[in-house]
Formats: sequence, C-alpha cells, structure tokens
Amino acid sequence: MLRLSKITISLHQRPLILDLSLEIAAGEIVTIMGPSGSGKSSLLSYIGGDLASSFTATGDITLHEQLLNTIPAEQRAIGRLFQDDLLFPHMTVAENLLFAVPRLAKAERLHMMKTALLRAELEGYENRAPHTLSGGQRARVSLMRTLLAKPNAILLDEPFSKLDSELRQTIRNYTFNHIKTRNIPALMVTHDEADVPLGGRVVHLQNDGSLRHV
Amino acid sequence: MVLLFVVPLVFSLVTIIPSFFDVQALQALLQHPQFWGGIALSLFTGIISTAAALYLATIVAKSASSATARDAGFFIALPHLALAVGITFLIVPTGIVARLIAIVFTGWTEPPQIITAQDPWGLSLIASLVLKETPFLVWAMLSIMNRQDVKPLLAQHEKVGKSLGHGARSIWYRVLLPQILPRLVWPIIAVFAHGMTVVDMALVIGPTQPPTLAVVIWRDLNDGEIITNARGAAGVLMLAAAIAVIIAASWLVLRATCQLRVLYLTAGPSAERHSFNTGAKLWQILRVIYLAVFLILLLQSISGHWPFPHLAAQQFTLKAWQTLFTDNAPLLTTLCHAAAASLLALLLSLTWLESQPANRDNILLFICGASLCLPALLLGLAQYRLYLHLGLTGTHTALFFAHLLPTTAYVFIMLQGPYRDFDPRWSSASNGLRISSLQFLLRVKLPMLKSVVWSATAVGFSVATAQFVSAQLASSGRHATLAMEAVSLTSGGNRALIAVYALALMALPMLAFFLGAILGKPRWSTA
Repeated sequence: MLRLSKITISLHQRPLILDLSLEIAAGEIVTIMGPSGSGKSSLLSYIGGDLASSFTATGDITLHEQLLNTIPAEQRAIGRLFQDDLLFPHMTVAENLLFAVPRLAKAERLHMMKTALLRAELEGYENRAPHTLSGGQRARVSLMRTLLAKPNAILLDEPFSKLDSELRQTIRNYTFNHIKTRNIPALMVTHDEADVPLGGRVVHLQNDGSLRHV
Repeated sequence: MVLLFVVPLVFSLVTIIPSFFDVQALQALLQHPQFWGGIALSLFTGIISTAAALYLATIVAKSASSATARDAGFFIALPHLALAVGITFLIVPTGIVARLIAIVFTGWTEPPQIITAQDPWGLSLIASLVLKETPFLVWAMLSIMNRQDVKPLLAQHEKVGKSLGHGARSIWYRVLLPQILPRLVWPIIAVFAHGMTVVDMALVIGPTQPPTLAVVIWRDLNDGEIITNARGAAGVLMLAAAIAVIIAASWLVLRATCQLRVLYLTAGPSAERHSFNTGAKLWQILRVIYLAVFLILLLQSISGHWPFPHLAAQQFTLKAWQTLFTDNAPLLTTLCHAAAASLLALLLSLTWLESQPANRDNILLFICGASLCLPALLLGLAQYRLYLHLGLTGTHTALFFAHLLPTTAYVFIMLQGPYRDFDPRWSSASNGLRISSLQFLLRVKLPMLKSVVWSATAVGFSVATAQFVSAQLASSGRHATLAMEAVSLTSGGNRALIAVYALALMALPMLAFFLGAILGKPRWSTA
C-alpha cells in the first residue's frame, strides 16, 4: 500500500498541490488528471525522491508502512516510467535490462533478463542497439527494465503520450496487465482520458491545487 | 579560408615526408645519444599526464557546479609557460615550499640538496601538465554535458538510474560517463599530442639529462647546420609516428576490453553509500595551487636579494617591471600580433559563416580540429619550411601567420555552433522590415551574438599570446614575443625578470577576457 498524507508542493511560494492525501492499494492503478503546469509531475518527483531543490514540499509518503521521506531516491524501490523510453543508448537491449537486475548469481541474473525479454516479445533481440527497435518494442523493454528492479510501487508520468495512436492501446493494455500481475500500487499522471484503465480510480487536480475525486 | 590551413598542411606533407626517407637523418637521429632516453621520457610524461588529467577531470566533472565551468574557462586562458615558471618557483630547493619546510620543521640553513623541478623522471613536468590539462578536459566535458540537446537527456537518465536502484556514483560511471567520453576523443587526443610534444613547458620544468624528445628535436631545429636540422625534422616525424602508434594501441586495448566494460556496465544496482564531493575538494586544491602560482610570481617579481631560508626578500624593487616597459619590444610585438591575429581570425570566421552554406562547415571544423590535434612541432616545422621557401623567415609577416593559424582555428570552432544555431526567423522577420542583409548582420545578428563573438575573440587572443614553437621558428629569433623572451630568460638566473614576463603572459589573456566580457555584455538581463 502506497499512502500519501497531506502533501503540499509549492514553487516560489505558490502552492501547486495543496493537502493531497491518497491511498493506493497493491494492484491498484490510480490516475491523476490535471492541466499542464498543475504540478502532476512534481508530485511524482516528490514521491520518487528527486524533486528539484527549487520546490518546497511537505507531507508523508509511506510505502509498506515505511516512511520514505528521508530515504534517498535510489533506495526507495519505486519504479518510474516516463514519456520517453529512456533506454541507455550506449547499451544493448540485454545490457539495459541487466542494468536493473539485482546483484545475484550470474546464471540467475541472465535467466531473469531472458524471461523479461520473452515477456517483451523480443526473443533474440539481446544484442540489438535500442535505436534499431520500433517505438512499441522500446516501450516494452523500458517497462521490463523498470519491473526487473523489483519495485514496491510504480509511478507513470504520461507514459503513452509520445506513442502514435495505433500503438497506444496495445502498449496501455500491455503495461497495465504486467503491473497488475506484480500486485504493486501504481500512480499514473496523464491529461488523456483514454489512458485511464477500465474501472480505475481517477483524481482530478484543480488549478488551485485541491483535489476532486471521481 | 580553407587554403589558409590546407596550404601549410599540404606543404608540410610534401616537404617533410621525404625527410622520413632521408636515411642519413634517420640514422643520425637513432644514433643521437639522447634519442632513446628522450623518447622514453616523452612517452612516459605524455601517457601519464594524459591519463591522470583525464581521471581527475572525470572526478571533478561528476560533481561540477556552474562555478566549476567558470573557473575552468579562466584556467584554460592562463598560458602553460607561466604556470610552469610559477610551479618551478614554488618547488625548487630555494623555493617558497622548501623555505616553509626549513622554517617550520627542519631548520635547514641551506637549500636541501634535492632535485625537484627538472627532475630526471619528468615528474614535475607531468604535474605541470596535469594541472594545466585537467581544467581543459573538465571544460570540454562540461560543455558537452551542458549542450541543450544533451543536458535534459542526461538528467532524465539520472532519474531512471536512481529509480532502478543505482546510486549517484554508479550512475556517473555506468550511465553518464560512457555517453560523454566518446565525444571527448578529440580533446583527449589533443591533450596527449600536446603532452608528448610540449616544448616551452619542458624547457622550463622538464628533465635535462636527457630531456624529452621534443626538446632534443627543438635544439636540432634551431641549429643552423643543415644536417642537424634534417635530424630534427626526422625527429618530428618520429614523434608524430609515436603518437599515432600510441593512439592506435589505445584503440586496440579499448576494443579488446569491451567485454570487461560490459561486465562492469551490467553489474546491477549495489547498495553503495558514498560521499560524493571528492571532485569538489579536488577542484578546491587546484584553485589553491593556481592562486599560489600567481602569488609567488607576484612576490618574486618585486623581490631583490632573497637569501635562504627567509620568507621574504631583503629588499623589494620594481626594477624588473621597469625593464618590461623600457625594453618593450617583446610586449608590443605580442600585443600587436595577438590583437591583429585575433581580429583577423574573427573577420575570416564571420566571412566564412556568412558566405558559406552550413553543410560545408564540417570540412573546416575538421581541418581546424586536426590542426589543434597535430603536434605543434610538426605544424611549426611545416610553416617554417614554407616561410623559408617564400623567403619570409624572420619577417613580421611570417610571425603574423604563425599566430593567425592556431588563432583562427580556435575562433572558428568557438563561433561555429552558436552562429549556426541563430534562429533563422529573425532574418525572415527582418526581411519583412525591408532592411538590407548587411544592415541585418550589423544591426540585428551581431548585436544579438555579441557575447559569443567577443568571447571567441578573447580566446583567440589568449591562444595567440601563448604561441611559442611555430612563432619562434617563423621569426628565427629576430622578433621576440613575451613567450620567447620568457623561455630564453629561464636559462639565466634573473628570477624577478622571469616572473615579470610570466605575469605579463598571464595578464594579457586576462585583459582580453575582461575586455571581451565588457564588449559582450548584454544591454539588460533577460533571465
């Protein structure tokens, strides 16, 4: 369970998000919608632990009953997906995946990487450079890389906005299915109604920073 | 403009390559008593200084701030020669460091009998090179990282890396640095070629018995004897070949260790807890050394008789400073040539950029880059032969071209990117206002680009003041610049005068940067 309590984020004394409280259960995908500049991405950065120092933010983030506020970003075990796939261009597909696999025995790591590749429907693509893949293939590798790090929660920052419309629906379903199988809480921000998973909870962020639950 | 570079380069190939097949000269070179020792020293100092500077630069760049970039730009402008002189004054047995040790710890009454500067291993030369090249590599790395198309991507990669469980150190070495280093190849090659062939610094602080090969060659080239001169030319080619071999070997080593690097890249996230400010501390040390160099030069320049182990001279005098302004030929020569060369370089670069389509830039960029990566000795020799052929050696014309060549290369490289990035919509908008293209250039484009225009000119000026090898050869000792005068003074014992010349060498580029900053200052801040 990911719990946000009384989160306020402001930039230059102007509150972007005011007193936000939210609980996300394991396996649930909650969507936050709001106009651009409403602080959606800043909220994800605050939860992920890399909010720029020009912002001021208060409020508690609790994951599995552990308070995350003072824990550095790399130890929060929170996976992130962004608008771009952000595969590292100097690594092959396999190397990108292995980058996220925890330090275990070599055979086990390779096995995990191969399984992820299989799930990305990219068997045999180990040694390909990311730029030789199609947009949909890259998006799948990116999701698999995020999941390989065994996150306890996942944050999605408009993850489908740069995909073309035909691809969008497929990648959406693919992403939601895999996140649900992991049974971890997920928080997504978007400004596209169509991104909302079927029957999923939606929170609207108002211009004054307050929330409207739907 | 291409001709400006191509003519000396082609001429050098035509005239110098045959001397490689000059078996006599080659044999003479191989039998030179200082050849083997010299080339070993050159390889040692060149390789170690490049590796150390690169290593330190990666540490500094990983925790760099905007102040780091500013400092680095400033340090680059200080001439090598002045730095070598200052470090020599710090570390020689009668220098300030030994005096401090004597007073605080040991109570020496005479200077210690040890060799510090000009040590036979070239360690003091390596230290000077590292001090000089680290800021350059830091600056090169930061300018790659701060590019508008690179910076946001690297920031996002850093976020992703963290979300996958990697700490800051791991992200730097596994994600960011591997993307930066491939773009740093040319600066690294330039640093290496410079370290292998540096003459002015090596004459001041390098080993003497034997000296580095560059110095051995330098003596031959300055010899009137034709046979000795040919031996020097063979040496230049030998040195260039050695550089090429080492670069090729490094490339092979990099290829062979590819698997190892993949193993490192893919090792997975680790639970590191690393304090992350080694780079900041290192940079602080560097700044202190630069400050110490400046202060010791200042102190030495006004010191008269200064017995060991006193911390201050017995009397202070401005005699050395007076000499600089009374025997002012070197000062004026440097000032005139550097100003003329940097302004003409600006004019040439602007002419090219206005008259040529952008897709031809790469040719010129390559030629400029190559002329900076080629050993100065090779280019110097090529120009010397050319001027000799044209009967120009020893004239101001030859000296001027020797300054113009490297200056133009730097000015063009600095100007090209920002100039081509200029938004073409300004031009379209101005066309609608019916002003001529010349008026557009003078009244809109240049005023909007004035900051980069003047800072490029200032860089050109400082490059010109630091010229030694090609300038000395071109003028055949007839017209001395500050750099030439400073080098020849170091073989004498007048420390105050040496310090004055080193300070003058530092002051000119600083003045140029100051002037460039004033001229390039925007009317008002828009940030």
